[in-house]
Amino acid sequence: MSAQSSESIDPNLTPMLDLVFQLITFFMLVTNFKGASMDLSLKLPVLGSARPLDWQGKLEPLLINLNSEGKIRSAGINHEIEPFIKREARFVKLQLQAGGTEYKEGQELPVPVIVRADKDVKFSMLNQVIRTCQDVGYRQFSLSAMTREQ
Amino acid sequence: MSRRHRKKTKSANVELNLAAMLDMAFQMLAFFVLTFKPAPVEGQLSMHLPPPVAITNPDTKPVEGAGNEGPEISDENTLNLFVTANERGDADVVKMGARPISKGALNKVLLGRINEELKVVFNGAQLPFDRIQLSVDPRLRYDELMKLVDLCTKQKLPDGKLLQRISFIEMPEGAMP
Repeated sequence: MSAQSSESIDPNLTPMLDLVFQLITFFMLVTNFKGASMDLSLKLPVLGSARPLDWQGKLEPLLINLNSEGKIRSAGINHEIEPFIKREARFVKLQLQAGGTEYKEGQELPVPVIVRADKDVKFSMLNQVIRTCQDVGYRQFSLSAMTREQ
Repeated sequence: MSRRHRKKTKSANVELNLAAMLDMAFQMLAFFVLTFKPAPVEGQLSMHLPPPVAITNPDTKPVEGAGNEGPEISDENTLNLFVTANERGDADVVKMGARPISKGALNKVLLGRINEELKVVFNGAQLPFDRIQLSVDPRLRYDELMKLVDLCTKQKLPDGKLLQRISFIEMPEGAMP
């Protein structure tokens, strides 16, 4: 008999909504979409003075994950250093042209390079990356490090 | 019958006890806050890396205030540092020009000493340096190199700005001028 009763129950759903919004906010804040382009297996050196950089207003920086074998890892695939950087530079130049920016060969590319290298990478490998970048016009570099020991 | 009719039409005002839901929400929030491990924060050392310049005359132009054997200059605004490494990739000898300023793996003491040497050079009012060129052993590991780069980027130019122009040269293995 009680199942047939037509008492209207109006639960106040506001707290549940609050909860859902809180969870959404939480996940939005902790989700790092850039993590996909980073090779998190790299062990970066620890340097207390390294500071996160703000690239607002500039083109997307070129991110280079250099592992201890001397390969650039991007999107889960190992790439050779030179072809990868040259391809990225070509892409940036096309982007600049498409955006109406006049770019002449040999001019400085207005795109920073972020090098995330494993701490055991030899200088010769790092130097090859830097030289190749300089050859295609990159001048602004950022060398990544952890700000504290993990 | 009349009682049943009364039940149907009565608009009962049911109030749920939502305190339990609030409790749960706070518990979940507390759980996430307490178990949340923030992703390791990465930082960067930002610098302007022009292509290296040729070392033309390394035996000239000693720098005042930096000892008898001052650093050598190729381009007149460039201070040359030379770094050799051992088999393990640790820094071995660091020279400012011809003068050794550090020997052995880079620890706090040695890094402090190198920093003092660089400060002497960059605080000299008449010195025109605005760039450091690091000639580095190819075996040197990245973390050792970063310690030196960190010191270089901490140096202040006469105009108060931090030094950002650094260039790298790869030396032949084990070679030191």
